[in-house]
Amino acid sequence: MTMPASGASPVLEARDLQKRFGDRVAVDGVGFTIAPGETYGLLGPNGAGKTTTISMICGILARDGGTVSVAGQPVDVGTPAAKATIGYVPQDLAIYPDLTARENLSFFARLYGLKRTDAKARIDDVLEVVGLADRAGDRTDQYSGGMKRRLNIAIGLLHRPQLLVLDEPTVGVDPQSRNAILESVEALGREGMAILYTTHYMEEAERLCHRVGIIDTGKIRAEGTRRELVAMVGQRDKVKLSATGDLGAAAQTLAREPGVADATANENGLELIVDDARGLLPRLLQAAADAGLTVSTVEVVEPDLEAVFLHLTGRALRD
Amino acid sequence: MHAALLIAAKDLRQRVRDRSAIVVAVIAPFALAAIFGMLIRDGGTEFTAHYAIIDDDGGPIAAAFIDGPMAALADPETGVAEIVDVASEAEAREQVDAGELDAVILIPAGFSDAVLAGGGAKLAIIGNTDSTLGTEVARAVSSAFMDELAAIRLSVAAVLEAQGRTPDPAYAAELAERAQQSATPVTLAGTLADSRQMGATTFYAASMAIFFLFFTAQFGALSLLGERRGGTLPRLVAAPIPPWAIVAGKALGSFVLAAVAMAVLVASSTVLLGATWGDPLAVATLVLGAVVAAMGITALITTLSRTEEQAGNLNSIAAVSLAILGGAFFPLGRGPDILQQVSLLTPHAWFLRGISDLGPAGTGIGTVLLPIAALFVIGLGTGAIGLARAGRLVVAR
Repeated sequence: MTMPASGASPVLEARDLQKRFGDRVAVDGVGFTIAPGETYGLLGPNGAGKTTTISMICGILARDGGTVSVAGQPVDVGTPAAKATIGYVPQDLAIYPDLTARENLSFFARLYGLKRTDAKARIDDVLEVVGLADRAGDRTDQYSGGMKRRLNIAIGLLHRPQLLVLDEPTVGVDPQSRNAILESVEALGREGMAILYTTHYMEEAERLCHRVGIIDTGKIRAEGTRRELVAMVGQRDKVKLSATGDLGAAAQTLAREPGVADATANENGLELIVDDARGLLPRLLQAAADAGLTVSTVEVVEPDLEAVFLHLTGRALRD
Repeated sequence: MHAALLIAAKDLRQRVRDRSAIVVAVIAPFALAAIFGMLIRDGGTEFTAHYAIIDDDGGPIAAAFIDGPMAALADPETGVAEIVDVASEAEAREQVDAGELDAVILIPAGFSDAVLAGGGAKLAIIGNTDSTLGTEVARAVSSAFMDELAAIRLSVAAVLEAQGRTPDPAYAAELAERAQQSATPVTLAGTLADSRQMGATTFYAASMAIFFLFFTAQFGALSLLGERRGGTLPRLVAAPIPPWAIVAGKALGSFVLAAVAMAVLVASSTVLLGATWGDPLAVATLVLGAVVAAMGITALITTLSRTEEQAGNLNSIAAVSLAILGGAFFPLGRGPDILQQVSLLTPHAWFLRGISDLGPAGTGIGTVLLPIAALFVIGLGTGAIGLARAGRLVVAR
């Protein structure tokens, strides 16, 4: 995952968002920014306030407090021009089942202000991106769940938004389609699109997102890169080396390497506690070789966001 | 406005693809109008009843009745009735029972003498129970003749008394002659106050059109709930269009579908069923008023509902109730006054009144300004509330 350029003006700035439904506080002071090319994950369990937050960001839901601006333009329910900078992919399948994929795309393309000729070319483009070009003329009620999900995303891409908001886009999708969706999102991020991605799948947040905001009961509990979040709860990576040679001496040598907190020998090899396993791995393997070890397998165990969420909230993501 | 047009066009495309919408909008009302028209043996734009007359009297007053009002009814120019020759009362009764005759009028022996003697002469009507309209016409004509006869008898008697004369054969001849001349030249329009000047085919074409209009006009408001259920409403709201454009698009699509359906019904019932709607401009304005009224009422009901299913059920109940109350299924002329007053709260009653007022040749839009105004007031009043509630559906708060 390539980090976005730092210093650029954020595409999205959300500040102190507030929303109540009667007596229930749905969102309480949520705020974050997203830079161009950055994928920001909003990670939390169902009912945490993710959809309410992005509904306010997209100008679908009137907010009780706070501000939202996208590409420098304030966004609210009645700001059509600002909404044109946002591509919204709702959690529900927001497509018309009695229209073909091309008719669905054409309708939304025109609604987003694309001229007829531009719309046609752009529709062809997004159909290619989501891999539905060969089924574009079929009514979408004949599509599989995964194909509908991909079309749902395609509609959000039609007008080349500066900010793409994806609300749990892989819910109920088979593994193959899910992977295709994640690859599409990764490609869009590489093209420089700012992406807000909500999910309660920890693996997706870890794979896609440069930064993650952990949200629960309407509040952002913590925010940062995966590494920063993991460090926040005091957990480190573990590297397991299956090796032969003088394991005791090698453990002492590797323990002195920068970034290595601890190294112990066992009957199969070495176990190292490190700060950044992926970053250190080449140097650790070189040091092991220099210490005369023959390494047969390497296993990296990284503390995940599930552990962070558990630490912050006292419950699991899927509770 | 561009966004509203796009949404309306998309909605219409979906509706046209859903063939049930075409059935409800055009085919069902046309078919039912045709069936109702055939059931009352209307056969065309004018009502034609079939009568037999059994004259057991043979006197001058009986002849006056046959040659006077009954002949007028059977005049080919009016086409109101056809007098059928039968050999006997028994045969006439058989034909009534078989539905071949609407009614048989029995002139009993001694009828003329009884009239001339100032006694209680009566005409008997044996009607077909399946043809209440035909029986009512025969009864009305007979009753009118007897009333007229009583009045003439009084006036002739007064003249004879003034001249110092006593009743003689000349009295009978004069009475019969004046009765024949003066007896009401009954027309269908004069006897059928219930349906005013409308023929049955026109009545049922109009009534079925406005009845089914309530099912067609509701689709715009219903589809707003459908967009919400289907998850597409948030996507529409997230689009760079003003929220009112969504409501406007829904209303526009509904209006176009309903207006086109009504236009097709008017045209097809005219050409294929022989309905006579009247002045085209007046009919078009009445139709637009009916469409606005139906949209307003269904929008109000729909936006008060939580789900499409609930809205569909409530709209169906409203459509049937208003149609019954508004006289779309049967004329309310014989109903209690209070019912006729209440019916004026329904678009159906105003629409049917407007169409019936257009019956006589030469009547134009000026004749139906009140029904038109009533339809628009009902539509705009309920529609304003419906639109306000639809706006709140679109933008969640």
